[in-house]
Amino acid sequence: MGMRKRSLRNLFQRTSLAAAVLGASLAFGAGMASAESVLTMHIEEQTSWVSNFNPFDLAGRRQSTMDFIYEPLVIFNANDGGKPVWRLATSYKFSDDLMSITYELRPGVKWSDGQPLTSADVKYTIDLMLKNPAVDTVGAGQTVASVEAPSPTEVTIKLKAVNSEFPESLADLAVVPEHIWKDVADPVAFKNEKPVGSGPMTEVRRFTPQVYEQCRNPNYWDAASLHVDCLRLPQISGNDQMLALLPEGTVDWIGSFLPQIDKTFVALDPQHNGYWQPPAETVAFEMNFKSSNIGNFEAFKDLNFRHAFSLAMDRKSMVDIAGFGYPVVNLHASGLPPRFDSWRNKAAEGDKDAFMGFDTDKANKILDDAGYKKGADGFRTTPSGKPITFAVIVPNGWTDWIDAVQIAVEGLRAAGINASVATPEYEQWRKQLLDGSFDVVMNSRADSATPFQGYYQSLSTAYAGKLTVAAPRYSNPKLDALFDQYLKSSSDDDHKKIFNDIQVLIADDFPVVPVFNGPTWYQYSSKRFTGWVTDKDPVMNPENHDNNRMRLMHLLRLKPVQ
Amino acid sequence: MRVSSRRLGVYAVALAFAIVVNFILPRLMPGSPVDAMVAQLGPRATPAAVEAIKARFGEIDQPIMMQFLDYLKGLATFDLGVSVKYYPQTVVQVLSRATLWTIFLVVTAIIFSLCVGVVLGAIAAWRRGGRFDTIVSPFAVILFSIPPVIVALTTLFVFAVSLRWFPVGYAYDPNLDPGFNFTFFGSVFVHAILPVLTLSPFLVGEFQTTMRSSMIVVLGEDYVTMGRAKGLSNLAVMFGYGARNALLPVLTNLALILGAVFGGSIVTEIVFNYPGLGLTLFTASVARDYPVIQGQLLLMTLATLGANFLVDIIYGLVDPRLREAGR
Repeated sequence: MGMRKRSLRNLFQRTSLAAAVLGASLAFGAGMASAESVLTMHIEEQTSWVSNFNPFDLAGRRQSTMDFIYEPLVIFNANDGGKPVWRLATSYKFSDDLMSITYELRPGVKWSDGQPLTSADVKYTIDLMLKNPAVDTVGAGQTVASVEAPSPTEVTIKLKAVNSEFPESLADLAVVPEHIWKDVADPVAFKNEKPVGSGPMTEVRRFTPQVYEQCRNPNYWDAASLHVDCLRLPQISGNDQMLALLPEGTVDWIGSFLPQIDKTFVALDPQHNGYWQPPAETVAFEMNFKSSNIGNFEAFKDLNFRHAFSLAMDRKSMVDIAGFGYPVVNLHASGLPPRFDSWRNKAAEGDKDAFMGFDTDKANKILDDAGYKKGADGFRTTPSGKPITFAVIVPNGWTDWIDAVQIAVEGLRAAGINASVATPEYEQWRKQLLDGSFDVVMNSRADSATPFQGYYQSLSTAYAGKLTVAAPRYSNPKLDALFDQYLKSSSDDDHKKIFNDIQVLIADDFPVVPVFNGPTWYQYSSKRFTGWVTDKDPVMNPENHDNNRMRLMHLLRLKPVQ
Repeated sequence: MRVSSRRLGVYAVALAFAIVVNFILPRLMPGSPVDAMVAQLGPRATPAAVEAIKARFGEIDQPIMMQFLDYLKGLATFDLGVSVKYYPQTVVQVLSRATLWTIFLVVTAIIFSLCVGVVLGAIAAWRRGGRFDTIVSPFAVILFSIPPVIVALTTLFVFAVSLRWFPVGYAYDPNLDPGFNFTFFGSVFVHAILPVLTLSPFLVGEFQTTMRSSMIVVLGEDYVTMGRAKGLSNLAVMFGYGARNALLPVLTNLALILGAVFGGSIVTEIVFNYPGLGLTLFTASVARDYPVIQGQLLLMTLATLGANFLVDIIYGLVDPRLREAGR
């Protein structure tokens, strides 16, 4: 692979490049093409680009719409204890009764068409969401009572209930310009092909089914930090297509799953190609506490059974064999992801993690002592004599997860538990999690900038069974009370304290069986740009995917190689 | 040119059958478009987002007969609905973009293979049992037995990834804007070489084998003997007298294997990231994009029926016996 040959292809590229440059200089005036710094990135897999920069069209929008076209009010940096990075807003303040919040906007910010960006635009955007549930991508309908704009730089939002996590819920809010959107007949179907935005890369200069380019916003408020002139996004239809493209060395910022990354990527250009795939959210085995199978139901409720389940998990093999070594073993009963180490409570560790190893003998002993007798077929029944038998469901096609479940099932069978694997289609899998027609699932939860949201959504009675992350249908009044306290307090110290108690409670009650933390997907080439976030400088989540707001700050760190 | 009414009846029945199956098939697949859209969101599928999507598409739960009527109404007006994956683009927009590339690929591959296969078959028949025949003919059988996916992956790996002689994907260099100029057409040509070569072995094998056997039959006919007796050159007899009439079964065959060619083009397009119907169908299936899948299957059915119809007509033109009967 390494030898570069002079070939038909290179000749062709040279001639076509020459022609393209010639064409470009005729079109844009000579010399412009050479002075530009163009960053090539791969965010999403599509078979053909469709021009759609409507931030409210979650499934249809190009994934370079948020952050690069529509700047957030504030970004919370998970790698910095959830500290705010102020963007369009410079501060916010809760009222004393916590029933309203006032954002102070950055003065002098302009839209890319030169019009001023004011509190009226923010009010307009949230009102649009309240009026039209189909564009309500942040759930404002559930949280917001009303919005007021007392001055051009102040926005006051009245809340429906006390919610100290409210600013987090606005993390994905795209403030749109009222003067453009008020004339849009259908904000859902609008494709916004010539977007007017507040972010660094608002000008869509070229758009074809195979590539598109987003260039510098002429009125960007933070232009001093921006050293990239254009983002170039080639259409790539899948990971295998990405692998085939890698030897060309044309992509700077990648967010793909690359098997054997050292061989397939780094070895192509060891001097420039690098990656950092830090552990992300926790993946766990979750038992359905409302299982309709009477034997399973009895077993899942029993803490001893859950401990034995955990001891039957060969986490190291799951990581090494199933996950190409990319994930990281999680050995904490609380399941806290490594990215939230600053929140870790020492009191929730140590001997509380005694059941997090891989020890089949100990698992068998726990089950024997608790009265789970083995029958003639070698499988155990519950202490009351009911059969235990279940399938672990995992979406078809998620090969690394399927392999991990396979390893888990082998471990369970070695402990006398009759487990098997089932691979429904992803949509079917989601349905089963939501309607409760499953016994055990391998599942992950979505983290936000602080660990609270992930725990709250997956283990509170309020969400039980309502979200896929809340599949276990766990319900614990003590835990609910802690969650409630957390939401009702707004001081960081109180949040820390309450979250310490939450960790202890979860480690003791062991509702789910954490196994590992999946990786983030981030690869880069420093051939054309420097300033990449690396493991030596782990200041933020480095991913360029649409679920990571910090990608904006990552872009602003990059400088073209002179 | 007349095609018998019985043949037309067969076409009508086939078309009706295709229309009905096309309606039923996607509905037998698990999952719904809304689920698929949510699935596309992956980690961004916050409860609020899921609600927003549901609100947008409403419930697609109409009674099945109503859905069928709507579907027929749409067909009649060439309105195949709106794509789920590429919302708010219409199915017609999505498909017309892709059709061009697939037709280009398939037609190029067919013309190329026809030239190669027919000549190889004719020569093999002319000298049957000779050295050329004993080497080429078994090789042709092997060729059309290799699944396209193997050919596609091998050519991609050898010529694009390892040797880097050809691009690994796209229909043309993404840095170019489409236009009527030499650079653009050159780029299209270079990007089509590997996909065409992938589709060709199977076709060449098929055409060579058919041509050879039908040519052997023709060469036994009296008029060929007469041509030789007239003292015409070998080439003139071989192509003027033999090949011309031996082509008929090859054309029939072409109509029959057209479906297989489309099948091969699906695999080829996926491997080479070629923006044609195959790649579109593949992603539409994954995304449960019913409207696009339906439009596409219908298009392929129409293409196959149309090709058969065309062959019927061409047959009448080139087969003197039919030309007589038609009068």
